[in-house]
Amino acid sequence: MFHREAGNFKTSYAADMALFPLPITKYTAGFLLVLFFLIVPQMMHEYYLSIFNLIFIAIVGALGLNILVGYTGQISIGHAAFMSVGAYTAANLATRLDLPFWVTLPAGGLMAAAIGMIVGIPSLRIKGTYLAIATLASQLIIEWIINHTPAISGGASASLEVARPTLFGLELSSQGELYYFTLTFAVLAIIATMNLVRSRVGRAFVAIRDQDIAAEIIGINIFKYKLLAFAISSFYAGVCGVLYTYYFGIANYEAFQIGVSIDYLAMIIIGGLGSILGTVLGAVFVTALPTFIRLMVETFGGYIWDTAQLSAVAASMRLVIFGALIIFFLVVEPEGLARLWRNIRNYFRTWPFSY
Amino acid sequence: MTLSEELPFIFSLIVSGLSIGMMYALIALGFVLVYKATDAINFAQGEFVMLAGFVAATILAAKAPLWVAILLAIVAMIVFSFALERIVLRPLLGRPVVAVIMATIGLAAILRGLPPITIGAQTKLIPLPLPEDSINIWTASVPPIQALGVVVTILCLLGFSWFFTKSRMGVAMRAVADNQQVAMAMGINVERYFAIAWAMAGLVSALGGIIWGSMLGVDTQLALVGLKVFPVVILGGLDSIIGSVVGGLIVGVVESLAAGYLDPIVGGGTKDFAPYVLMIITLMFKPYGMFGKRKIERI
Amino acid sequence: MKAKRLSGLGVAAAFLLSGGAALAQDKEIVIGAQCDRTGPTQIVGTVLCPAYHHYMNLVNKRGGVEGYKIKVIEIDHEYKVPPAIEAHERFKKEGAVMTSAFGTPQLIALLKKFDEDKMPVTSPGIGSSAAADGKKYNYVFPIAATYWSQTGGAVKYAKDRLGGNLKGKKIAYMFFDNPAGREPLPVLEELAKLEGFTMRTFSIPSPGIEMAAQVLDITSRFRPDFIIAHLFGRAPSVAIKELKGKGFPLTKMVGLVWAGAEADIIAAGGFGAAEGYNTLQYAGVGADFKVIKEIKDMLKAEGKTPGKEFESTVTFNRGVYQGAVHVAAIANAIKAKKGGKITGEDLRKGFESITTLDPSLDGLAPPLKMSAADHEGGGWVQIWTIKGGKFVKTTDWFQGYRDVVKAHVEKENAKK
Repeated sequence: MFHREAGNFKTSYAADMALFPLPITKYTAGFLLVLFFLIVPQMMHEYYLSIFNLIFIAIVGALGLNILVGYTGQISIGHAAFMSVGAYTAANLATRLDLPFWVTLPAGGLMAAAIGMIVGIPSLRIKGTYLAIATLASQLIIEWIINHTPAISGGASASLEVARPTLFGLELSSQGELYYFTLTFAVLAIIATMNLVRSRVGRAFVAIRDQDIAAEIIGINIFKYKLLAFAISSFYAGVCGVLYTYYFGIANYEAFQIGVSIDYLAMIIIGGLGSILGTVLGAVFVTALPTFIRLMVETFGGYIWDTAQLSAVAASMRLVIFGALIIFFLVVEPEGLARLWRNIRNYFRTWPFSY
Repeated sequence: MTLSEELPFIFSLIVSGLSIGMMYALIALGFVLVYKATDAINFAQGEFVMLAGFVAATILAAKAPLWVAILLAIVAMIVFSFALERIVLRPLLGRPVVAVIMATIGLAAILRGLPPITIGAQTKLIPLPLPEDSINIWTASVPPIQALGVVVTILCLLGFSWFFTKSRMGVAMRAVADNQQVAMAMGINVERYFAIAWAMAGLVSALGGIIWGSMLGVDTQLALVGLKVFPVVILGGLDSIIGSVVGGLIVGVVESLAAGYLDPIVGGGTKDFAPYVLMIITLMFKPYGMFGKRKIERI
Repeated sequence: MKAKRLSGLGVAAAFLLSGGAALAQDKEIVIGAQCDRTGPTQIVGTVLCPAYHHYMNLVNKRGGVEGYKIKVIEIDHEYKVPPAIEAHERFKKEGAVMTSAFGTPQLIALLKKFDEDKMPVTSPGIGSSAAADGKKYNYVFPIAATYWSQTGGAVKYAKDRLGGNLKGKKIAYMFFDNPAGREPLPVLEELAKLEGFTMRTFSIPSPGIEMAAQVLDITSRFRPDFIIAHLFGRAPSVAIKELKGKGFPLTKMVGLVWAGAEADIIAAGGFGAAEGYNTLQYAGVGADFKVIKEIKDMLKAEGKTPGKEFESTVTFNRGVYQGAVHVAAIANAIKAKKGGKITGEDLRKGFESITTLDPSLDGLAPPLKMSAADHEGGGWVQIWTIKGGKFVKTTDWFQGYRDVVKAHVEKENAKK
């Protein structure tokens, strides 16, 4: 938010690294929590809550990808595959052993983390483009294995129905109820990531991203930390997949195909690599913008086209404008929405006495 | 089956694998040309091919002669690639590799969104004057369109090999690919060569679009050929022109043999799986492909 | 410029605060239609969805259904799952009482939601075959032959073509390597046992643009007497081309419903090249139906020219058929309710009591008979063959191995 740092002096390293470096950030966080936990679900129609739900789930997955791509500098185009690993792990546990979500959710995450570490092994030898394509191959191979193993996928239709999550005997099924479910995990993911990146591990990740050879010289075990980055990132993806599974009420690998990996990559690149705020903004942008564009075309297009044509135009315009905006943002501000936000904030920080 | 029955079968499999492999190489060439000169990954390669197909098919539908359609498609693709480089990719120079990837993904979205409201999503045809019957080589048969694809790919390969080794422009381009800063210091206009590299990719995509479009019919499904690019270029090396052809041949043959021999054993579906496994193995043992430039950094 | 932009934001803000557009009026039925006009299946979506709109416009022009007007909201989901979820919630907000699904992954992701929201959904040609049983999935209506019924139909047709006996015969099953492609397998295996034919499967992995090796395997090794092709996207046309190139007679081949539209034939090199190819259909083919003429007349009266969507009659007629089933369900619901607001539950009962459709559809629609137990309506199919440059009807509506398919549906649903 727009605030000034004047008058706040940090007297120790601990203070500099605190979760809330300034008192006002604490208030902002508190305000946002109250807003999203108490006010939004009361004020908004269920339809908007459903969009929020999709955004919250996306935030979890995108944060994981940003840890890997943005903080550690290892490109991955296989993120969705880990979501399906998490989804099927949780669905199998839930249907075969009747386990509740607070067991299946971490289990899905851990399974994804384990697979993620295996996929991360090539990253020790290759990087950049080649790694990107290696992860793409992993995506297709994981998809293929799930598709061809009835023991995992639950038969020819490759889908496993799970019961809705229950909490204290209360079944969470409507969008309003699932809202709290997804929001809680989004908040947990954000806090966990904030803590991770200001820890020793997070700084090691950044060191590897910036200059891996130098990182090794100062005593960072690259082998360990690269794999750790893959594991943590995949853990998030796995949890994201489990959230989708409970949100849909069914696990289906066709919901986690290569296009989804690309969508998540779009989120963090548009939002800003190596930025938590950017991840959140990117998740909002990619999830809600197509809807918003369609809404605009529907609202104003009514003057130009009749309803039948409008459906066609709205569909195409949504895709074209979305693609054009991605390119526009990349050209104007390659560091993403987070940087754009910082620029605005910096402008107002000294406003009106900019000089 | 006895050996005397098995041999013709294997031969047929390999021949069809080789011919389709050359067709893959044609698509991969456009990708490699761009990567070689500019280090940019073009995720919209399939959409490039689709666009070229749409242009050619639309012109043909307007009753223009075939050579006009082909010529216009080539010109249109060169202009398009040129403009793309100038407007979108040049501002991204020196940005992280993901930025360029994302830009091409955004471009792919635009190209997929446009046809339904402009020229219609319906399947269009590019009829080429080719004989009806397949070309027989012993027991194997190759469809005429694939034979044409093989010829075009070989011509492209020869043309680009000459260009990169003999022509002044090509040598300069290799210098740019090798080290941009040194090339700049030697007075080479790096940006100009980037534009030329994209234009060349546009040319190859146009040829690919016409040949694949003629084989498959033109609609947005044509963009799916782009998926075949990655195993091909990884095997051959991202920046090697000869590598794209060899990679294409290997992928074609491996797919063919997997479908012929692995599928009956495991119950199917190994065809798309095999090239990717091969790709992972290549990455583990020979990360920069068979012909790729080694940029490996030991740590 | 600036004022325009501001007003745009204002409308958006008003939309957000008011909770959207005006709610459905009393004498209006709102239907939410999901569609893919921009994604990988756009070739179907850009024909089927406009056809559906045309038919609904026609119904409204005729005076609506029992005095009610029909309003269709269409949302394109680009064949992606999250936008399909968003679309479903949007439909609910706009007061939709029924929806039509588009795409198997999208339908599966919403299966639970349809039941929870008591929102009937139709999924002709896409839905999971198990959904034919109305007791298991109360609100899912395949309304047309499911993949299992199609398989039954295809095998029956093969039997008729091969002289009424399949014993010792060889049938090749070419399928797209995804869950939808694999769905018919258990039924095929059962039928193979029952009829005593040998079946071998040949999987075509996505995107299916190249299958020379599989076709070689089929034609030079397995040498089947008949081929059943369950392919999607570009794969059907490639299969036709390759098989023809290897000299396999296309008359000994039948494609299931997504392998037999005009686009597939055109991409395979035109009607001349695909001569003899058989397609299985769940709605009639061609423009010789009264309803199609009425739609064209309606457009003419409005001063419009029929668009490109009319060229693909296979897909177009499916859109019309889907519309007609919706209208029949609505009519039944209104008649049963006798006034008042029509809910999803009323419509479910409306669907389950469908026995006749709009008479102007004539031969376009199968003799559908829906019931609480049978949401598929009998699983009727027709075979249309490419002859002399066009689709020619080869068989009338028939059911293939209905008892086997039905037993299989029950078995599958008892398992879960």
